[in-house]
This record gives sequence, C-alpha cells and structure tokens, in this order.
Amino acid sequence: METSWSLHLLSEILSAFSTEDPDNLRNVVNRVAESVDAEVAAILCEGQITWCIGLSETDQIQLLEQAKQQPSNIPIRSGDLHACWAPIGSSDVLFVGRLGERFDLEERALLRAMARSIELSMIMLLAVTSERQARNDAYQQATHDALTGLPNRRMVLDHLRATIDHLVADAALVTAVLFIDIDRFKWINDAHGHAAGDQLLIHISRILTDSVRHDDLVGRLSGDEFIVITQSGDRHAASQLARRIIETIRQPIKMFGSELSHTVSIGISFVQPGDDPSVVLENADMAMYRAKALGRGRYANFCSSMRVLAQQRLSLEENLSHAADNGEIRTYLQPLFRLSDNTLAGFEALIRWQHPQHGILLPGSFLNQAEDSGLIQEMDMIVFETGCSAIAKWQQIPGLEHLRLSSNLSAHSLADPRTKERIKAILETTGINSCNVYLEITETALVEDIKSTASNIIALRNLNLRLAIDDFGTGYSSLLYLKRFPVAVLKIDRSFVNGLGLNPEDDVIATTIISLARALELKVIAEGVENENQLDLIRELGSDYGQGYLFGQPMSIGDTERCFISPRRPHPAVLTTP
Amino acid sequence: MGTESWVTVGASTKPGSAEALTEALRALESPAPPKLVVALVAPHFDLATIADGLYEAKPGTQVIGCTTSGEISTAGAMANALVLWALGGDAIRVTTGSGQGDDLGLRNAATEAAHCLDQLERRSNTVLMMLSDGLCGDQMEVVRGAYDVAAIDVPLVGGCAGDNLAMKHTRQIHGRQVLTQSVVVAAISSERPLGIGVSHGWTAASEPMLVTGSKGNILSSLEDKPALDVYLDFFNPPENAKTDQTTFAAFAATHPIGIRRRDKIEMRHITGFNLQTRELITIAEVPQGALAFLAEGNFNSVLDAAGQSVQSALAALNGDKAVGLFLFDCVSRRAVFTEDRVHEETDLITSTCRNICGNIPMAGFYTYGEICRTKGAGGFHNQTLVTLAIG
Repeated sequence: METSWSLHLLSEILSAFSTEDPDNLRNVVNRVAESVDAEVAAILCEGQITWCIGLSETDQIQLLEQAKQQPSNIPIRSGDLHACWAPIGSSDVLFVGRLGERFDLEERALLRAMARSIELSMIMLLAVTSERQARNDAYQQATHDALTGLPNRRMVLDHLRATIDHLVADAALVTAVLFIDIDRFKWINDAHGHAAGDQLLIHISRILTDSVRHDDLVGRLSGDEFIVITQSGDRHAASQLARRIIETIRQPIKMFGSELSHTVSIGISFVQPGDDPSVVLENADMAMYRAKALGRGRYANFCSSMRVLAQQRLSLEENLSHAADNGEIRTYLQPLFRLSDNTLAGFEALIRWQHPQHGILLPGSFLNQAEDSGLIQEMDMIVFETGCSAIAKWQQIPGLEHLRLSSNLSAHSLADPRTKERIKAILETTGINSCNVYLEITETALVEDIKSTASNIIALRNLNLRLAIDDFGTGYSSLLYLKRFPVAVLKIDRSFVNGLGLNPEDDVIATTIISLARALELKVIAEGVENENQLDLIRELGSDYGQGYLFGQPMSIGDTERCFISPRRPHPAVLTTP
Repeated sequence: MGTESWVTVGASTKPGSAEALTEALRALESPAPPKLVVALVAPHFDLATIADGLYEAKPGTQVIGCTTSGEISTAGAMANALVLWALGGDAIRVTTGSGQGDDLGLRNAATEAAHCLDQLERRSNTVLMMLSDGLCGDQMEVVRGAYDVAAIDVPLVGGCAGDNLAMKHTRQIHGRQVLTQSVVVAAISSERPLGIGVSHGWTAASEPMLVTGSKGNILSSLEDKPALDVYLDFFNPPENAKTDQTTFAAFAATHPIGIRRRDKIEMRHITGFNLQTRELITIAEVPQGALAFLAEGNFNSVLDAAGQSVQSALAALNGDKAVGLFLFDCVSRRAVFTEDRVHEETDLITSTCRNICGNIPMAGFYTYGEICRTKGAGGFHNQTLVTLAIG
C-alpha cells in the first residue's frame, strides 16, 4: 500500500532544514506552500511577519491585522484566502492561505505537523549553529593570531606542509617562503609602548596582505615575525615581492601623533619537494638574519653556508647577554686632531667586546644583536662612563684642559627619556667638563622618531653636551634636523674621505658638507683619514678636524695614555744636588 | 483606456545574424511600434548583433530574448532560426527587467528582474514572462525568486534558455545587453484577457520511490540506492547510454522523473549523470523525502498534451478572441516527436487555434524547463508545454 503523500511532504519540509543554507527558513516557507498548493505561507512572530510569500505589502498588513483573531477566511484583492493557522512553539504561528479549495482535515493535520517540525528544526538549527560557531571560534583561536587575524605558526606550518606535499619536482611553479622581521621592533615597543607596537604589527599585516596574491598565505609566527608563502612562475618574483614589501613598509606612518619610520628585513627560502616545513622556515629565518647583517631594510636569499653563520650567531647572542655583566665590554679611544695646528683635540670612545674565546671583537660583529636585544643601551653607558673617566683624569694635565670626548649614542638610548639621568650621573661622578663632551648620533637615529627624540635631545643639551652627527651624508641628510636640533659637529663619513681625489662625486659631496657646515656655523670632522694625500685634501677643503689611522688607530685606554697622553705630561723638574 | 492588442511574428533561417534579423524584422511591419519584442535565437547567432539591430530598428520597444534549442513560429517548428514575437496595441503595457545570477543560482536574480513590475502601469490582467539560464542552478529558485515580488496576483510563465542540447552555456538578451547566468523578464499588462495553459502527457512507469538523498539539482539516491543505478536498472537503456553523457542525455530526454504532488505529477528533466558518485543531474530539484516515479511517454500522449495546453489557454480568455500565442515547449518533447514528426505538434496547435479562433500568429521555443505559476506557490515544470494566449 502506498504511503500517504502527506507524510512524504512532511519529510520534504524537514529535509529543507539544511544547516548549510542560511536561507533555509525562506526555503521552508516556500516548500510548505508548494506542498499543499497554497498561494501564501508566512511565519508570524510576536505581531511581526518573519517571512511571507505570496502577499503584496498591502495584503501583508491586512494579514497582520487579523492574525490575533485567526479567521478561517481572509479577503484579499484576488479573492478569499482559506486560512490555516498552526502554532510554532508558544509565540509563533505558521499561516498558510489558499485560493479555491479549503484545506481538508488531512491537510490541516499535515500543516500542524509541519509547524511542529519547523519548531523542532529551528531549535535543532540553533543548537547546531551554536555548536558550529563554537567549533569555528575554537579553530580560529587555535590557528590564527588574535591581534592581526593572520594564520599563526601552526597554520603556517600546516599550509606549508600541504604545499610541499603537492609539489612536483619538475613543475614550473616556484614556491618561496619569505621570513619578514621588523627591524628594531623592541626599540619601538620600549620607546612608544606596546599599544604602538601592536598598531605597527596590524599596519604591517595589512600591507603584507595587500601585497600578495589571493592564493598566497600571509601569517604571523610570533612577535615581530611574519611569513609569506607565495607561488610564482620564477624565482625572481619572490625577490620582486620582497622589494615591494620593503619599499611599502618603509613609508613612515603616523602613530599616536608622531611619525614613525621603520623597516623590515626579509629572508627568502625556496621550497623543494620533500622538504621539512620547519627547516624551510629556519632557512628563511637565517636568510633574514643575513639581510639584517647587510644593513637592515633589505632581503637575502638562503644559501647553505648561512647555517654555519647562524650557529655562530646564536652562540654570539648567548654570550653577548652576559658580556656587560662579565666586564667584557671595553672602551677603545681613537685620537682626533685639529687640522689648523695639527694638535691633539680629543678622542672618540669606541666599543669593543673582549670575547672569552674569540678575543677582541669589532662592533660590526655584535652591534645588530645588541640593538635587537636592547643591550645596546647598557653598552652605550659603559663606554661613555669609561671614556668620561679617562678624559676627566687627563683634563687635569696642564695643556689638556680642553681635551674633548666623543661618544656614540644609539637610537635606543636617544629615544629613552631615562638616558638623560644616567648621563647626568656619569658627568657628575667622573667630574668631566661637559662642554667638552660630544654625543655622536646617526642620522637614522634622529629621524626614526623625531618628536620623542627632540625632547630627549633638548634635555641633553641642557646638560651642556654637544651633538655630533655621525656618518653624515650616508642617511637622510635632512636639513630639517640640522635646523631643529642643537647640532655642533658634522662628521664626514669615511666612505667619502676614501674617495677623495679618486672619485669626483666624493669630492663634490665632501665639499658640499663642509660648505653646509660653514653656513650653519658647525664644525666638521673628516673620518677615515689614512694617508698624507687625504690629509692634504681635507685640509684644503676646510675640514676642522681629522680622525683616522694616519693620526692613530683605536686602542685601549692604557695604550692611549702611553702613546698620546704621557708624552704630553710636563717633565718633572730635574732635581739636582746642590 | 485602449482596447486593441496585436501580435506579429517574424522568422528567418538565414545563417548570418544581420541578414536573419533583417528578414525577421521585415515580417514585423505594423501600424505602430510594438511594446515588446521577444527574440528567440538559435545559439549560433551573434546575440550582440541581434540586440543592437533590434534597438536600432525598434528604438522605443522593450526587448528580451534568449538562446534556444529549437524555435517555433507561425509556420511551425524550426531549427537554427531567429524568431521574433512582437506584442503591441494600446491595450498593452510592458516593462522589462533583468537580474544577474552566479554559480549559486538565480533566486536573487529572478527577484531583481521581477521588480520591473514596480514600474508597470497595471491594467486588468498582468503576467510576468520569464526567460532564465537553464544551466544555472536549481530553476525552482527562479520561480521562488520571482514569486517573492509578483505574489499571488501576477501569474508567471516562462522557459529556460537552451543551447541546442550542448549543455555548455546559454545567453539572454535584455535591451542591448547580452547576458549569461541571468534572468530576463517582461511584465505584460493588458486591458484584454490573458490565458495560460499547461500540460505534459507523461505517465508513471515505475512504482513510487522515496527520494532518500538529494540536494539542489543533484539526485543521489532513491530508496537508499544510488539514483543512477536505480534508473539504469529500471529502463535498461542501450549500453553506450550507460557510460556516455551525450547518449544518456538523449535517452533521458524521453525518460524523465516525476514527483507526486497534491493533485498532479510534476516532471523533472534529467540532464546527465555522475559516473563516480552514481548521481543523476536534473534541471530542477527533486526534493529529498518526496515520492518519485520514473516516467515515460509515447508520441500520442505527448502530442495530446499540446492540444490540451493550447485549449486551456484559449479557454482562459473567456470567449475573447486570441490575437496570438507564445509557446514554451520542452526540448525533450521535441525528442519524443523526433525531427521528422516534430511538425505534427505545431500542426495540432495551429489546427486547434483555427477551430477555436481562426488563424493567429504564434512563436515560441524549445526550452530546458518551463515556468507556469497560476495557482499555488510553485510552478516549475519539465517535459511540458506552457501556452500564453494573448486576448
């Protein structure tokens, strides 16, 4: 015997409740009407129509007006609608209206069953939706970074693994992993606070997302480390992407009222079939460190020799964290000569690391790590204090009263308002005449955050310190900060001095810097003077001071005293016997 | 208030788009410009040329149209032709609309297109004529989308555009626009009666079966068995129809599936299969939970249905004289008749009209699905002839 068609219609209604379809209520209303050949179906909820088909707006108003009475007929323009009202739960109603034939007993029973089915299905749908939402939320939290919304390390690794699994050895498609690290991010956090750091991370995540194609993946590994996984037709595309990202991120942004300049360094590693995803990330990480070592704001491709360098760097970083506490940070002094009379004017204090295994290390081998870790501030102060102590002592010697000290101040120290107090304490403790103290800062450090830097510089000026711009001409060379800050000295970078007489461009640059200094009544120091020819040229151009191997290489304080100070001590009076 | 309405039909089988249009337009000569032209275009024509040419020839006329799988003109069934159906007269008001669909379907597109009713100056009788992309999603949604706007007062008639059974893509025309995955509609309002008839002539061949798995236009299981296997076991078609899509589609055109409804059986055209998943692909939903029949028809039953459809439409004019017909005829019915005898259906339609109201112009096309909602909320059909009679 054939099953009643009405049961099948009921089953159709239930199957219309798909949790995949956001419009399922609309579909169900359609199916209810279609199943009983009715023209109108509506769900009414607390005096409002949730969904209705078949009625014009005017007729819907009439339906609402009569909903309380639930009449068996509703007159509309097309004729009399035979009505069937079926409760959905305690407050909602399913209304079905048909022109022509009235609903018979079986149909009314069917519609009541449909209403009950809708009620149960809606409860089930709500439960399923909640559970699905909770599951989605949990998945989102487990696989995405809460701050930027980007995929996190887990998802990046999963994606990379899936990409590697689908790689074909001879395929034309090249897969590259870009490891992106924000340069000096710790400094940004320290100087501007974590809110600014977070804002920068979000800013960079947006730039990365906008820079890549839809199919590429952008993720945040941790802290200031981002990943891009990209596929393209050739290896150059990855380099082009890296260049594009670097240039876009280099644009200064306004943050909390000040303009912040920042850069990223990018390491690129190419993926081969069978690669371990973690190793691919490590490779890209190593390449990124290489990019940083090249001078930040750059990119580098991974090559196998980087693994050895990375191990060395890790060991170095480990040792560096204890260097200051272990007294391994040393101050070397390099003499500075006044060119007008070829006399000793003072010294520049330079940092060295007395490494327990590798001996004396130059700053190039550890300064980046020191800056990234924030240790640079402590090192700045150690060098400054030691230099002040030595110079203060030597200033007691007749004829050396005006001996000057130049000491480098990193961007970290310059941006830290506490630096002033530490410097003040060192000046007081050592007793050095602050008029003879010059703090050397780079152009880059100056412009990284002009607003906060400016207030700190003014505070330092109030201590009667002078400011010297190191490596002038290699950075932004902006006249703006020469005007805004109490700069007393410009130092011509050694790269220009080296080219004097050989490279006409270097001649022009050196001449321009000296002319500029004269116009602004600043003194000029030429760095890197190594031979008599260079000395003649800088003297001819009008440089006030010279510094370089020709005058003396950097040496320990003891050696400096022996070579440069002792010969200038007055000879003790020779006692003669009467 | 005007009382006059008229229909003219032009057709051409010339191969070039421009020359076919010129020839078809020549037959549309009328004392006043038509209010609406419906262009029924074989898929090999350049639709942009047709649309631009119609705009230039009839600048004040609303135009809709679509590609077909065969055309009908006053002369009878045609193939690879361009047929123009023009409607005019002071009793008639027309607005047109279109909606762009996507891979998810045409419901919203149909709603958007149907909103042309909002601008229509309503007369005594109104109908919404719809042409949709028959290869885009579940066509039930086209009816549902249009019904959201048209509501109870406006009947829906229409058909799904075809592509000569290539089943690749169809195109639609609205004004000078050539669209795909879209719905184009003409809202027609007249002071004179409009009659609608619908009939198919198919009968159940199998026992009723429970649809145990379906989603959209994918029918996966009947009585918990793979739908394709149930279908092939029952009909036992030629061997190559069991593996070759084209041969299967040709076989399925005359072996549709029917769904038990309150007082009728709704037909569903099967367009293909998925050999891996053993699913059947239909032109519209076969709802999960429904009772389904495997159906078949013969030449005579399907032919008789044509006469019934036209008679119903003419009868709905309540004694008013018809001035023209528009026919939405399922392409699978043409397959039942075969190319040699397809003219017998149009001959029957012509003679039916002649007996009731004399010779009148008619046009139409062979569709991938037919729309006819006059009662109830549903109204998507397959393997059916839908007739619109203009009084």
